[in-house]
This record gives sequence, C-alpha cells and structure tokens, in this order.
Amino acid sequence: MKVSFSEEDEHFRTEIAGWLQDNLRGEFEKLRYRGGPGDEHMYPQERQAWEQRLAEGGWTCVGWPQEYGGRACSIEQQVIFFEEYARAGAPGRVGHIGEGLAGPTIIAFGSDEQKAKYLPGIVAGTQLWCQGYSEPGAGSDLANVKTRARFDEARGKWIISGQKVWTSLAHESDYCFLIARTDPDSVAHKGLGFFLVAMDQPGVEVRPIVQITGTSEFNEVFFDEAECDAADIVGAPGDGWKVAMGLLGFERGVSTLGQQMQFQNELDQVVALARENGAAADPVIRQRIAKAHAELKIMRYNAMRMLSGQSGGDGSLQKEALIYKLYWASWHRSLGELAMDVMGPECEILPAAPYELSRLQAMYLFVRADTIYGGTNQIQRNIIAERGLGMPKEPRGNA
Amino acid sequence: MDFTFTEDQLLFQESVRDFLRNEVTPERIRASWESDSGREDALWAQLAELGLTGMTVPESSGGLGMSALDFVLLAQECGYVALPEPLVHTALVAVPALCDIGGELAEQWLPRVAAGEAKVVVGLEQNMLVEDAHVADLLLLQRGAALLAATPDQVSLRHNESVDPSRKLYAVDIDAAAAPVVEGEQAQRIVARALDHGALGSAAQALGLAQRMVDMSVQYTAERQQFGVPIGSFQAVKHHMANIAVRLEYARAPVHRAAYAIAHERANAALAVSHAKLAACEAANLAAKNCIQVHGAMGYTWEVDLHIFMKKAWALANTWGDAGYHKARVGERIFADGAVLGAGATF
Ligand SMILES: Cc1cc2nc3c(=O)[nH]c(=O)nc-3n(C[C@H](O)[C@H](O)[C@H](O)COP(=O)(O)OP(=O)(O)OC[C@H]3O[C@@H](n4cnc5c(N)ncnc54)[C@H](O)[C@@H]3O)c2cc1C
Repeated sequence: MKVSFSEEDEHFRTEIAGWLQDNLRGEFEKLRYRGGPGDEHMYPQERQAWEQRLAEGGWTCVGWPQEYGGRACSIEQQVIFFEEYARAGAPGRVGHIGEGLAGPTIIAFGSDEQKAKYLPGIVAGTQLWCQGYSEPGAGSDLANVKTRARFDEARGKWIISGQKVWTSLAHESDYCFLIARTDPDSVAHKGLGFFLVAMDQPGVEVRPIVQITGTSEFNEVFFDEAECDAADIVGAPGDGWKVAMGLLGFERGVSTLGQQMQFQNELDQVVALARENGAAADPVIRQRIAKAHAELKIMRYNAMRMLSGQSGGDGSLQKEALIYKLYWASWHRSLGELAMDVMGPECEILPAAPYELSRLQAMYLFVRADTIYGGTNQIQRNIIAERGLGMPKEPRGNA
Repeated sequence: MDFTFTEDQLLFQESVRDFLRNEVTPERIRASWESDSGREDALWAQLAELGLTGMTVPESSGGLGMSALDFVLLAQECGYVALPEPLVHTALVAVPALCDIGGELAEQWLPRVAAGEAKVVVGLEQNMLVEDAHVADLLLLQRGAALLAATPDQVSLRHNESVDPSRKLYAVDIDAAAAPVVEGEQAQRIVARALDHGALGSAAQALGLAQRMVDMSVQYTAERQQFGVPIGSFQAVKHHMANIAVRLEYARAPVHRAAYAIAHERANAALAVSHAKLAACEAANLAAKNCIQVHGAMGYTWEVDLHIFMKKAWALANTWGDAGYHKARVGERIFADGAVLGAGATF
C-alpha cells in the first residue's frame, strides 16, 4: 500500500494544471463549471471544440494505451488528471461515452479494422458516441431487447430495425453502439449482437425527450432498416450480451474518478453557500455536511483501491465493483437534498425565466436519475446480494 | 377525544373532490403554464359558486362561516390536483387575516372575496416573495412590525419563476402612499397567525400531493412489466410504496390536529402547526423520491405528470417556514422554561 504521489507524478500535475490554465480561457472561459449533470444541454458545440483542444494537447483518453492514441497514464496520473480537471472547473466532457465506454469496448473486443476506423475519432474529439441499450420494453430487464438485426446477403450489410429509448446525447452523436437481436427466435441474453451504427443515415430518426429539468439530454431513437457494415459487429452474432456486459464494467472504471472530483466541486459549493447564508450555524446541517464529506472520501479511497487492484485474490475487489454504483448514486441523491436544505426558502426560486435552474437546483433534480440509469438501486442491491453474497435468486416471472 | 370528521364535512369534501378531479386535470395545469397569468377567471368563478372562496368568510359578510378545521380536508383535495388557483391561500390565509384586522377593511373586502369578485393575498417576510400578487386586488404586506394594505396601483411587482411552474411569485415594492393598517403587537399577532395558517395550508396540500403521487405510482407499477411480471410485484418496489404509506397515513392526524388547534385558537396551535408541516412535507418529499424511483426513467421526464406534483411538494416544503424553521420552533417550545411536557400534556 502507498497513498502518496511520486515526484514524477507531481511534475505531471504541474504540467496538466498549467495546460488547463493556458487553455481554459478566451472562447472557453464561459465553459467553466458548465455541462455537468443536469446541464448537459449547454454549449454543445463549444464543448466539442474544447474536446478537440484537449485532444490537440494530448489530454483525451489519457489512460488508453499509446498504440491507440492514448497517453498510457498510470492510475496515479489519471487520478491527478481528473483532480486538476475538476479543480480548474473544466466543462463536462461531451466525448465521455466514446472515451469511457465505446473506445474501451472496441479495444477489448473489437477487430483491428474497427480499432483503426473508430478509435482515432474518439481520441481526436471529432466523433461522438451514444449508447443504445434501453428500449421501451427493456429497462431493468435489458435482455428483453426487441430491436432486430438481419444480415442482408445481397447488400452485405446488417439491417437494423427497432426502437431505443433514453439514449443520452443521441442528437449530438455520430455513432451509436447498440445491442440487437441477430437470432429472431432467441429470447433473453442469447442471440444478441453488438453493433456500431452510424447515426447520420436515412434509417435513423432521433426524437428528443424533455426531462424534469425542462431541458433535453436523452432521446428516443428509431431504427427503420438502418444499415450497418458487415464489419461493424463487435464479436460474433450471439456475443452481444457478453460484449455489452464487458462494457458495463468500464462504466465503473476510471471515469468514476472524474465523477468524484465533480462531486467534490458540488460539495464545496454547498459548503460555501452554507457559510454565506448562515446555514452553517445550524448543527444539523453541519453534521450532514460532515457526513457527506466523509462518505465522499470513502468513495474516493475505494475507487482507488478498486483501480489499483490490490485487494488480493479473495474476491473482495469484485464485490467493491458491484457496490460502487449503489453507493455513489445514493450519496449523490442525498447531496441534492442537503443542497436544498442549505438553500432554505430560496431553493424554490429560479434564477431566470422561462425555466432556468441554478446549478444546485439542476443537481437536485438530476440526482433523481442517478439512482435509475446504469442499473437502478434495486437492481444493484439484487446484484450485490445474488452475485456478491451468493444469495438465492429472486423469482423472475416466466421470461 | 374524536379524530373523525362530521358527515357534513365528509360530504362536502366528496363533492369538492369530484369537482376538482374532473376540472383540474394535468392537461389543464400544463395549459396554464403556457398562459400569461397562469390563472383562469372562469375556474375562479366556479370555485366561488361552490362557496369555496367564501368558506371561511363569516356569514355576516356573505360567506359560509366555516373554520380551518372545515377547510382542511378541502385543502388536501386542492393538493391532490395541484390546483394552481390561490384557493387555499384565500380561505386559510387571506380571509383569516382580514378577519383579524377587522373594521372597515374587512367589511369592504370580505363580501367581495366570498363572491369571487376580488382576490386578496398576504405577503410575509418569512416567505420573501408574494404568491399570486399579479392577480390580487388587495395585498396585505408585512413590513417589519407593521401590516400594510395596498391596492395594485400602489405597488410595483417583479416576477420570479418558481421550480413549480404553477406558482407565481413576486417581489413587491410598495409606494409610500400605502398606509399601515395595523402596527405593533397586534400586527405581530396577525402575522404570526397568518404564518401558521399558511403552514397548515401547505401541510394539508402536501398530504394530497403525496396521495396523488402514490396513486399514480401504484397504478404505473401494476401496468409496467419487466422480467415478464408487473414491477409492482417486486418486493423492493412494494416496499418503496409501503414506506410512503406509513409516513403519509401517520401525517394525517397531526395535520387534522393542527387544524383543530387553529380553529379553536388553542394556545399550542403554533406547535401543532409546525409538527403538522414537518410530518406532511416529509411524507410528500419521500413520496416524490420513491415515486420517481419506481417510475424508472419515465419518472425523470417532463411528459409524465408526476413532476407536476413533485415540484409543488418541493416548493411547499420550503414556504411558510421550511423544515429547519419548524424544527427549531418545536425545539424552542420543548426547551422553553416552564414547558409543560409529559403525561397529561399530550394534547
Ligand atoms: C438520465 C438518464 C439517462 C439514460 N441514458 C441512457 C443511455 O444513454 N442509453 C441507454 O441505453 N439507457 C439510458 N438510460 C436508461 C436506463 O438505463 C434505464 O432507465 C434503467 O435501466 C431502468 O430502466 P427503466 O427506466 O425502464 O425502469 P424499469 O426497469 O421499468 O424500473 C422501474 C422500477 O422498477 C424497479 N425494478 C425493475 N425490476 C426490478 C426487480 N427485478 N427487482 C426490484 N425492482 C425492480 C426498478 O428498480 C425501478 O424502481 C438513461 C436513463 C436516465 C434516467
């Protein structure tokens, strides 16, 4: 065990901090602290330009291997990168689905051709991705997807038809990775394929869904005989579930570090507000803030423990990975409640018409989604109990 | 000791419930969000016709002469439909304040309120902003230790948006012309009573809001299928709903008890009101949290009606004294010198 940074790491810190200071200004100044949860609709173009600026500096995909355009940073350096990124108030990353999910999946399961075709655009910040898992009938029961993929021999292409829903950032995306049924007679997680599909084509229609924040970050996506090259299935037909689940592992990977730094920024804002408006004098508020602080540290230590992979062969590492989503989502939801209690009567008042929320108000609403997407709290508890503790499985109906 | 309501009270509740559920639909609320004032004269006229704007106005002034206890069940129904019109404010805050002020002002305005011809609103410093000032014909405004009465031509309004798009909030600047109608101790007493009335109204509405969210979610979880069965059949989902039911059922008694204390001007009314507001708003906040959760991503959309009720609950929890304010008030009473606690002081 070692919980300090080396001299080399500290050099790295100076480097990224300096780079951010030099670059997050001018046209990008207004992006500070923007584009986070509940604010994803803000400045999409400017944030993509920022993504490309990061790429020019070599600051996208910092944890990826060099052969794929990454920086091959150690875990420590990735931690530092995310710390400094958050400290500078740099904006929410529009490329996070590509960098955090699509890219790692392609690296792990994709063909050389797919790597050559897709990874450079992710690294360069020029191509954005969305995740097409959920469908109207397939939420928690993800294996119930009905979207079909049929191979058309004549055209030499996969033809995809069906409906996805809740697809974050589909309206900004160049590509969608999705699961679809390659075997029409199959049920549940058998007979699925994992596809990389271009969004800009006649068979794809994106309709925004307005969220309780009054803004729109997710969409319905309709595939009507959309085409996908024969080479753009990841793994073989029937491997879709395996690939999709591998990807969910990445969702709990290094990207969580960045998220925690953002949590820290939010907590700092709550603390600052409590000082400013006197709520800090209330002992109940003080204790809740102290608790939030302690729990955030717990998350941080455990994320690093999980990433450093040093918890031995007793399987406890695996359990941490299962626990993490439930813990942070619940923590974040409580932070939203705490923020509103610190705001007091003012928490009702919007900064501007027609429905512009303050950062903390937007956060309070957005955290309601944290306990839902990426596996609801209830599903997470089932996973912890059944996979982590080996308890008997819940009855699952007849499906 | 009798916590039941009379047959008359229950019958009236039923007819008001039918009316509100038929008329004040989520579609109508959404339409009101798009309109300039967010208020409908035609609906107000109907409410007046039903006697609701005059419920608490004395019979001598053309009202029904009923009390907060008679109105509390109706306030729950207003919450259930998330009524945008300021009916609860009128019956539970404005009319009692006018009655407390008395004299010419009361004589002049009470009959018009009862007839649905005029709206009166009360603005307390505790609330920072004034609800529905844009449609008020008379504003009773607290300024320090005085209560002023102002007509629309004597004030300038600045509109503020609320997290609940149905709520219309205003910062009110008064021109010098508006004279204090009461000052000193009497004004303080009226302000304190108005705050308690407002808090009671919020508490009663919170019960209705929570019930509405529960009803919607029980229905949704029976219809929505995952893993081949209704999600409502999963224990985790049921427990989310049962936990609300426990809080909500148990929040009713304190709210009714507070209405009684106010109606009978009991010495401990303020304490009862704080308790009621805490219990009811906690129930409504839990309902909002759990009901969104069992709706899954659907609960996070603007299109699903749940957020109409969730946002009103959010706003009401923080007006007429937020949780911190009311907890502090309960604490002060308990720790006051000579506080009478324990057996024999249950009520
Ligand atoms: C902001 C946001 C962004 C999203 N982005 C994306 C995206 O980019 N791509 C994508 O594919 N999806 C996305 N999703 C969808 C998300 O993954 C689903 O919402 C999630 O999987 C839950 O599915 P559901 O909404 O259909 O809820 P349901 O599955 O219908 O669940 C409703 C309720 O039932 C409970 N429940 C269901 N099954 C069980 C069980 N077996 N035991 C106990 N309780 C159960 C749930 O916990 C929940 O409380 C997003 C969702 C949100 C809110």
